[in-house]
Amino acid sequence: MPAGYTATIAERNSFGCSVELVLETPRGFEASPGQFVHVLCGGDGRILRRPFSVSVSHNGGLALLVRPVGEGSRWLCSREVGEELDFLGPLGRGFNINETRENVLIAGGAGIAPLRFLAMEMRKRGLRTLLCWGMDGGEDFGRLPDIIAEESGLYVSTRDGKRGFRGSVLELLDALEVDRNAAFYACGPREMLADLVRGLGDGELERTQVSVEERMACGVGACRGCAVPSARPGAPYLTACREGPVFFAHELDWERM
Amino acid sequence: MGTVLQTEVAGIGMKNPVLVCSGTWGNGREYSEWLDPGELGGIITKSVTLKPCAGNRPPRLWETPSGMLNSIGLENRGLEAFLEEELPWLAGFGVPVWVNVAGFSEEEYVQVATEISVSGLAAALELNISCPNVRKGGLRFSESLGDAVRLVARVREKAELPLFVKLSPRTADMKAMCVAMAGAGADGLSLVNTVPAMAIDIERAKPRLGNVTGGLSGPAIHPVAVLAVWEAYQSVDIPIIGMGGIWGWEDAVEMIMAGAGAVGVGTLNFVDPGAPLRIVEGIERFLARKGLARVTELVGLAHRGGFPDRAS
Repeated sequence: MPAGYTATIAERNSFGCSVELVLETPRGFEASPGQFVHVLCGGDGRILRRPFSVSVSHNGGLALLVRPVGEGSRWLCSREVGEELDFLGPLGRGFNINETRENVLIAGGAGIAPLRFLAMEMRKRGLRTLLCWGMDGGEDFGRLPDIIAEESGLYVSTRDGKRGFRGSVLELLDALEVDRNAAFYACGPREMLADLVRGLGDGELERTQVSVEERMACGVGACRGCAVPSARPGAPYLTACREGPVFFAHELDWERM
Repeated sequence: MGTVLQTEVAGIGMKNPVLVCSGTWGNGREYSEWLDPGELGGIITKSVTLKPCAGNRPPRLWETPSGMLNSIGLENRGLEAFLEEELPWLAGFGVPVWVNVAGFSEEEYVQVATEISVSGLAAALELNISCPNVRKGGLRFSESLGDAVRLVARVREKAELPLFVKLSPRTADMKAMCVAMAGAGADGLSLVNTVPAMAIDIERAKPRLGNVTGGLSGPAIHPVAVLAVWEAYQSVDIPIIGMGGIWGWEDAVEMIMAGAGAVGVGTLNFVDPGAPLRIVEGIERFLARKGLARVTELVGLAHRGGFPDRAS
């Protein structure tokens, strides 16, 4: 059941271009991988909440991985340990875990946040899991790749080859000769998701899940602001906040994405 | 809760003067997980159109200083689904329901209003003649006095329910518009809808919204709404539901003092789902502090010289 929370920032870890905030809630908090929390960010004239995927820190606490890309996230990144945050959650539909196939997790940039959580959950269940994380040339996530590699195992790709495989994360998948019968789980920039989906056949769309990012107002499905194009006739749009943010690839109309 | 907060607008009894605004509360299902709809003064539904409406192309949202731009575009599942699945459920909370009616032609407005009226499940209609996000219908009616009068009169003729008309703040003469609406048969006014507005991404030199233009809501428009309510109260005797950027009980009280018989909480729902009920509590505390027995004593108080000045 979603609820309103006041959380205390228990840890603040600087990971290169991003900041991880580890939160403590007095009455405990449970989410499934892919769900998000809607955080009230301060700052002059900011009124709307900002959605952040739930991640999990190496010690098991609720964590948010925040990149300072806009005013809300910049405000959030400058919070200190001990400060309080107001959030609603957990919200949205998370990943549906396939228990029978190999699971291939594909992250782009800060899209690692929900997939780190997902990989940990899969590992807990003893499932065959392969986690790949692609970064752009300018992206540096500090020690985070090392921490995740220790938690769940990790293949990294960078455009310039500064770290791990040289190339895109999709080229990395090819190089790893990933089992095409696997179930795929992706989160990252819209172009990365579109490239991934373009390369999939019919049967593969049905076992590929993507987590999409959209600007949101309510976060609960009421305002219809975070509309994403639906592939279903008669229902032109789905909401990223309630029907998503995780969708099976065949549920979305990629021509209109 | 006693009688302190009880009020009525256009003959509709309310346990308190706080409603939730159209389009900011869906049709209640989402927010019923966050608060008891039965505790609200009233509920105004999302706009209902005759046929299902897909809504506008994304992006549909953009935040501006103390405000929010939206161009949802009346996305809804149409009259039939609304009457079958949404309205009976909403009517079960024992709270008056205003059904917000929109259309792309006069005929559509009349048909939807008539069928809602016949259903017997709604307390009132709120005619949306001021949606800035549809090309046909919508705002066109609110901007043209003649078109608005004709539409309201046609709906009035067919629909038995109390008829509220929701107006845009973008009208040449608010007082003249209010007088015309009352003359055409409106039983009440909802003031105001979002303010037509837009934003441009300067890096791309393209509009922020997929629909190019949208409607501005949130605290940025609150003073605009207060003036609209103020002017309406001076010019007509029909009740006013004040809405526009209410962000706390203080804003609600201000709106009531400007002349609103009830108030609507809108964009704030997105940020704080429990806000409408906290606003109710805030109003009640304010009344106690001011020694007032009934919220109705506040309605239009600023037009009557306000509270007596105390020697300091």
